[in-house]
Amino acid sequence: MAELTVENLHLRYGDNPILKGVSMNLDRGEVVSLLGPSGSGKTTLLRAVAGLETPHEGAIRIGERVVFDSAAAIELPAEHRNLGLVFQSYALWPHKTVYDNVAYGLRLRKVPQAEAAERVGQVLAQLGLGPLGARYPHQLSGGQQQRVAIARALVYNPPVILLDEPLSNLDAKLREEARAFLRELIVRLGLSALVVTHDQSEAMAMSDRILLLNNGRIEQQGTPQEMYGSPRTLFVAEFMGSNNRLAGRVAEVRDGRARIEGEGWSLWGTPKGETAPGREVNAVIRIEQVKLGDGPEGNRLRLPLSTSMYLGDKWEHLFRLGATALRAHGTGDLAPGEYWLEFPPDRLWLF
Amino acid sequence: MRASAAETLPRAFTILVTATAVLAPLSLILYQSLLNAPFFDARKAIGLDAYRFIFADPDFWQAFKNSGLIAGGMTLIAVPLGGLLAFVMERTDLSGRGWIEPLLLVPSFVSPMVLSFGYVVAAGPVGFYSVWSRELFGGAPWGIYSILAMTVIAGLTHVPNVYVYASAALKNLGSDVEEAARVAGASPFRVAFSVSLPLIMPSLLFSGVLVFFLGFELFGLPLVLGDPEGILVLSTYLFKLTNKLGTPSYHLMAAVAVCIVAVTFPLVLLQRQLLKGSRKYASIKGKSGRMRELPLGGWKWLAGGVIGAWIFVSVLVPLSGIALRAFVTNWGEGVRLAEVLTLDNFRSVWEEPTMMRGIWNTILIGVVGGLLTVACYTAIGFATHRRNDGWSRFVDYLVLVPRAVPGLLAGLAFLWVFLFFPPLRPLRSTLFSGWLAYSVVWLAYGMRLISSSLLQVSPELEEAARSAGAPRWRVSRDVTLPLIRYGLLGSWLLVFMIFEREYSTAVYLLAPGTEVIGAQLVSLWQGGAIDLVAALSLVNVVLVAVGLGIALRFGVRLRD
Amino acid sequence: MLKNKIAALAAATVSSIALAQIPAGYPADYAQTIAAANKEGKVVIYSALDTKAAQPLIKDFSALYPNVKVEYNDMNSTEIYNRFIAEQASGQGGADVVWSSAMDLQVKLVDDGHAMTYASPELKAMPSWAVYRNQAYGTTFEPAVFIYNKRLVTGNDIPQDHAAFAKILASESAKFKGKVTTYDVEKSGVGFMFVVQDAKYFPQMDELIKGFGATQYRVYSSTGNMLEKTSSGEHLLGYNVLGPYAFTRAKKDAGLGVVMPKDFVLVLSRVIFIGKGAKDPDAAKLWVDYILSQRGQKILANESQLFAIREDIPGEHTAGALKKLYGDALKPIPVSPEIVTYLDPKKRLEFLGHWKQMIQAGAGK
Repeated sequence: MAELTVENLHLRYGDNPILKGVSMNLDRGEVVSLLGPSGSGKTTLLRAVAGLETPHEGAIRIGERVVFDSAAAIELPAEHRNLGLVFQSYALWPHKTVYDNVAYGLRLRKVPQAEAAERVGQVLAQLGLGPLGARYPHQLSGGQQQRVAIARALVYNPPVILLDEPLSNLDAKLREEARAFLRELIVRLGLSALVVTHDQSEAMAMSDRILLLNNGRIEQQGTPQEMYGSPRTLFVAEFMGSNNRLAGRVAEVRDGRARIEGEGWSLWGTPKGETAPGREVNAVIRIEQVKLGDGPEGNRLRLPLSTSMYLGDKWEHLFRLGATALRAHGTGDLAPGEYWLEFPPDRLWLF
Repeated sequence: MRASAAETLPRAFTILVTATAVLAPLSLILYQSLLNAPFFDARKAIGLDAYRFIFADPDFWQAFKNSGLIAGGMTLIAVPLGGLLAFVMERTDLSGRGWIEPLLLVPSFVSPMVLSFGYVVAAGPVGFYSVWSRELFGGAPWGIYSILAMTVIAGLTHVPNVYVYASAALKNLGSDVEEAARVAGASPFRVAFSVSLPLIMPSLLFSGVLVFFLGFELFGLPLVLGDPEGILVLSTYLFKLTNKLGTPSYHLMAAVAVCIVAVTFPLVLLQRQLLKGSRKYASIKGKSGRMRELPLGGWKWLAGGVIGAWIFVSVLVPLSGIALRAFVTNWGEGVRLAEVLTLDNFRSVWEEPTMMRGIWNTILIGVVGGLLTVACYTAIGFATHRRNDGWSRFVDYLVLVPRAVPGLLAGLAFLWVFLFFPPLRPLRSTLFSGWLAYSVVWLAYGMRLISSSLLQVSPELEEAARSAGAPRWRVSRDVTLPLIRYGLLGSWLLVFMIFEREYSTAVYLLAPGTEVIGAQLVSLWQGGAIDLVAALSLVNVVLVAVGLGIALRFGVRLRD
Repeated sequence: MLKNKIAALAAATVSSIALAQIPAGYPADYAQTIAAANKEGKVVIYSALDTKAAQPLIKDFSALYPNVKVEYNDMNSTEIYNRFIAEQASGQGGADVVWSSAMDLQVKLVDDGHAMTYASPELKAMPSWAVYRNQAYGTTFEPAVFIYNKRLVTGNDIPQDHAAFAKILASESAKFKGKVTTYDVEKSGVGFMFVVQDAKYFPQMDELIKGFGATQYRVYSSTGNMLEKTSSGEHLLGYNVLGPYAFTRAKKDAGLGVVMPKDFVLVLSRVIFIGKGAKDPDAAKLWVDYILSQRGQKILANESQLFAIREDIPGEHTAGALKKLYGDALKPIPVSPEIVTYLDPKKRLEFLGHWKQMIQAGAGK
């Protein structure tokens, strides 16, 4: 059952369209990420759901409640939507203690003092902030501040919690911990969450479903596996992972495969969508799918090694194909020379 | 889309009250300018006679030209200097900033008439400094009775008006942009002119427009320094019109005021046009981070020199003139100061209960009235805060206009409003009426202080409260207001200072027991008791300065 | 018998209490005015005399009538006029008593029907020129004087009469360039009134004005400026300065000299009237009577630094003392319709036009 439904949402700033007809839903207990490059409209969509931006067309429902409907001229102000919102900057009120920050939503809902104290204590404990209630935000570390912001959004049990780039203000090490913590918390508490992020690995790690936005539209949505493993467009393929990319022309199509040719090379791949000989296409393959082979048989090319980089858990090798650089992973260092690279045809997507 | 009535009503009410308070006297003035007699006179008739008269009067055009020159010139002096002072005070490591700051504000609370008189005593043809200079160097190569001198003095004494806004804006500017320029090889002043000041352009433009308005409204200064040479400006021309035809000619005065508004108002439009849609300055808000002071290095001598020179010319010279005058019976060419020293002037002030009462009343109006005013400005600020609709723009335009009307006529217009608008009649002879008049004419000054405080509050802090379920008024009460409280305290102090010297606006609304020092100074001046004027002014300056010092000491910051 | 004596004594005491309230020589029914005034409890005064100078009067009046509170508003004469006519027009009374040195504006207000008719019991002690229609009364006797800087102007350069003033300006225009001062006839109503009167008594007025032009005279709207700058030496001679202010200052200031012109001395009289529709008419009567009374005039002359109009007052600053010294040279400006002639804009502009012309002629333009 959908906790949150967005239908055909349009929004513009002045003459500049930001959202161009976005529809989505969020089921109970589900974590959905809004992913996309900056300017794709993901934050705007989140803010429109929260009631902080006014779309000019479309509808938003929370559960059964219509909170926005342009056709019916309904717009519930932010404070009546009963959502939890965690800001990128956390937006903790600097003049209130941690306790008061968290308790504010309960005070607004006229929860009796004693009960409020209990609920705040509970949520602070859940988030590992137990003893920090009397502190002021500036006395906390970044990670603690983030957890206060989450506590503040959770304390009044909103049906949906919205998180705007929740991890981007943390440093790299803390970010991985927080990511796991957040995922674990959401699952444990059975929350329905909408998370905005620009980092695809964060999106994959945290969410049940990903909506990839591009230029005000949803480019593709699906589970992390679908998004990573079977992108439907070049944009999705490029956004979701690290790839090698070759430009060429389709030479022949046979048995659901197509052969693509470039200058001095030719490979079999899997076309995504309609294709026909003579068409200009991009061949894309995830770096980790490229394998070093020992001979010419199979879907292989012989290329000169230009350099190797040590990444700690593996090596990355750079090969040259004309002006294009191709990358492959390996377990050890390679001597200079030419090597056979294998491109499994079902992993080489043609767009 | 619709919003709930509980949301819109208080806002609509605030805007309505503001609009009425501003437009009622203004429309009365406009109406009066289209008549040929006082509007309450049964013999009045509608016509353009008033405009015909002033347009045919060469004095009007002369005054107009002079006002334009002075207003323009003083803006050109005050804005760069004010911006630079703000930069040095706010962003650099110059030592002694703590005690310089109260000094920077002195010209803003001393009555301009008294300040100008200070210049006469100090640097006039037979002033103390002029006489000394002639004895020591054989000449005093300056004159204070010229358009140029008036422009320079007006420009220098209006520096605080720019300084206040510029320093508030600089507070908001992250220091990273300046450091970037520094690393690229710019000297501190290069940084100021090429990075910091351009980035606070909205504040500078606003203060520029305000100073220009104040330039047209200038009265005390041209009265004291322009009169001897017969240099007329619009407000002294207006003053002349009260008696030129025997009985006060309200229609002529009103026509002049309408002309001033007509000339100055386009500036507001221009200012908005220049800033329209420019997201260039928006970058200011995002990054706050830790503020680091820019080391001045060897430039500190130059910075210190500029500040020192400014303080000397615009604070020490006039104040020392007033101070000296307060301690002598007479002065001038051929007078040995040692022979004329006296404390009688202070004794007279002390013995005269109304004078001390005047000082206390003024301070009281400044303190209590200023607090109320800041409260009202804050309400108006909230009515337009983060709402970029037509009403907010309307209020933006509205607030600047009253300051374009010279105090002489504004005071009269307020009297008319209180007399001829029946619901207000009972309030006429209460302090409320005077307070309202002050608050209306200084709207532009105060509103900008409030709104710059409001803009310092990150929008997310307010949005966070809204999504937690707080309606707008609770967001304002629980989040925004506590966050800007230091800014409001500072605004209170600044509003107190301008109220301290204001009087002409309320002269018709004051009653016995509520006499303010400004009015007393003028009537003493009229009767020739200039020794008492000097002593009274000095006592007043000292009291306010001490109060200011105490306030700053107890943690009231001028800017947040 | 004893009983009778006691009764008589008691009766005498009672009546003397009542009588003590009534100033000597006032009609018996004045007690009713006082009673009514006590009931009104206050009197609102608009005055051009600054509060400091008026303080002794207010104090003494309050001692006399402790139940009448004096609400004294000091404003300049234009402000008084502006405020008063607006209040009258709106029907919102403000002032009970209007007391101003702008004689012409005061008479105009009376002519326009803004004054209450009241025959003061002090009427018989007043000179006839100072009483207008039993509505407005002149209260003071303030000469217009010349002032000069004592250190820098000596001997024959000190003008003793109007002709000498004109002659000094004409013959020593270089020495006095920028150093002669008087009221701005355009900005100052009093200054204008003085020169109109001057023209009546001094046939060579045009020569004097030309002298102003030749010396590039400096004009001000406030007496304070003229006194201060003449004392300091920025200016050397001042023409037509209001006497009381000049004398008061000269007493304390060794640098300032004052001359009563020998040929004629204009005398200004502050005009007082009770506003029509005054809310406290009886208290207003008490104030007017008090100001005109011997008691009030004594204070006015000796403590408030003005000049008493009554001649039956001891002291230097009285009409009597001045008359003894200057006799017929004193030319009081009568409180009469004549002085409002020049409130007609056309006539006034004509006069100002002539003035300007003479100034320019003197300056050689």
